[in-house]
Amino acid sequence: MATSLRLYLTCIRNTLEASLCLQNFPCQEVERHNKPEVEMKTSPELLLNSILICRNEAEKCLIETSINSLRISLKVKQADELENILTKKFLRFLSMRAEAFQVLRRKPVQGYDISFLITNFHCEEMQKRKLIDFIVQFMEDIEKEISELKMSVNTRGRLVATEFLKQFI
Amino acid sequence: MACFERVSPALKEILLKLYHAEKPVEIDHHLYEFGCVEYHVQSSAADPQNNYLSISTPLLSQGALLSCGLSSYTTQMVKQVCSDAVEIVEPAKEGYQLTLKLNLAKIPRGKDSYKVITQISSVQAVILCSQLKEMLRNVNSQDTSQGMNKPIKLVYHPREPFYVIRQPQKITAVFPMRFKEHSDVIIATAFFQELMDVGSSEKWAKAPPCTWSPIPPPELRGEPLEDLSTNGGFVSFDISSRHVEGKKLDKTVWSLLNFYAYVKKHVKGTRGFIQRRMQKRLESLVEVLNKNPKHKIDNQRALQFSFLAIEKLTVLHFDFCFSSPALQTVLHKEKLEENEDVRKFKAHAECRYVGKLVGLSKPKNFKRRCRDLTRKIMQIHFRIKIHGFRRFHRRWLTIPKFSSPLRYTKLE
Repeated sequence: MATSLRLYLTCIRNTLEASLCLQNFPCQEVERHNKPEVEMKTSPELLLNSILICRNEAEKCLIETSINSLRISLKVKQADELENILTKKFLRFLSMRAEAFQVLRRKPVQGYDISFLITNFHCEEMQKRKLIDFIVQFMEDIEKEISELKMSVNTRGRLVATEFLKQFI
Repeated sequence: MACFERVSPALKEILLKLYHAEKPVEIDHHLYEFGCVEYHVQSSAADPQNNYLSISTPLLSQGALLSCGLSSYTTQMVKQVCSDAVEIVEPAKEGYQLTLKLNLAKIPRGKDSYKVITQISSVQAVILCSQLKEMLRNVNSQDTSQGMNKPIKLVYHPREPFYVIRQPQKITAVFPMRFKEHSDVIIATAFFQELMDVGSSEKWAKAPPCTWSPIPPPELRGEPLEDLSTNGGFVSFDISSRHVEGKKLDKTVWSLLNFYAYVKKHVKGTRGFIQRRMQKRLESLVEVLNKNPKHKIDNQRALQFSFLAIEKLTVLHFDFCFSSPALQTVLHKEKLEENEDVRKFKAHAECRYVGKLVGLSKPKNFKRRCRDLTRKIMQIHFRIKIHGFRRFHRRWLTIPKFSSPLRYTKLE
């Protein structure tokens, strides 16, 4: 793993560890309702400062925290148009199957490629350490997968081009 | 529209059926292929010797249409392909470019029959190829008549026209590429770049030089704007005389005619490949998540074993003091319940996607178990009363309460 990526992921991990101190907190506006405050944003006193971690201009991570929920949004590197469509396709594919991940948001926050929403209930049901591991692993995997996919598409194109030119010889 | 297979499979099947029929059959079929190729097969039971096959196909060049629809070279090519069993009917039926009279009885029996019928079924490809062949055959001719460098627009599909430009010592085929979706454009562009890279390597020096450019090549200057507006750029092949020598001519023509279909197939295949890969990746990601419950089961088991160990120690302590059948029953029940809990937990963990990271809170679980055990111990009713046992029980057998640092502890 590249040093910059390791540092980036470590920073995210540490921030998540610090931020994931969620507790049950009923909605202050509607009685007997319990809503993620980071999404509703009804009471500013329940929101914490957002943290933006940037690896470079194209790769960043926004962590928004509130008393009972945390939202983490990721922007994945897209060096060229092929990476751009591959990232979009892959993340859309995952978002459409968000139920498989429980904490994955179906629609990313504007300006980001994918978002996760972790509530206090997730923290109660799951192990906090493993949740953080999953997020960090997910980020690593996405980057690896996109670069592998790009290479595969190019290799495939090269093979097809070779086969086409063979016909002339 | 060209396709990878020269032979029309549907037409071949009908002709084979006609050929193998023991009794004369009445057939009047209209077949459509690629939306613009039409076949009409007619066979009469009254006249089984003469079957008619009419073909309507978009002609390659829009600019050089002849009155009968086919050039003499094309007619000659058709005659060459087909055997004695086939005769060209002139004029062709209305609405068709070519009508063939087939005398299937003249087709030799045995393996050759299959070959001849296959050749007849590929007559549309012959028509399509003939005109481009005619152009490519004249690569080396020193014809310097006016307008020789003017691009010839060839249309065999309304959405897929291409240009052939005759230049000294070579012919350039230019393909304006258009795609419906942006993602297709990107995949195709990556392919064109690979095509250029491969073509420019030494190993493929004999292949026609290929260039891709997002803007129209200068040779197409003056062509209508709607023909030059593309989203996939322009791919050009420079065909020289060595690519059209002898048998190579046929291959080169078919490859050029199939270029659009080839690119589209690659784009479609790549999209499928990406989809399959993403599906596989999703499964592996979920697998990573599914690993967690297993660990949790192990942890849970370890936890349970530790509880059992504590309980067993307590039982041993009890046994040391006295053995009670009631206590044994309670412990047995407890064990059964635990097994049931483990089984339920396992079943829950095995459910796909559900409860991946679920884990019971350790302190809560431990507290609950201790409380249950204490309650059960307290509920045991002994028949024999031992003097001072209650004090002994309170002093040694009571499990201490866990005090939370967040709670107050009553000072005694």
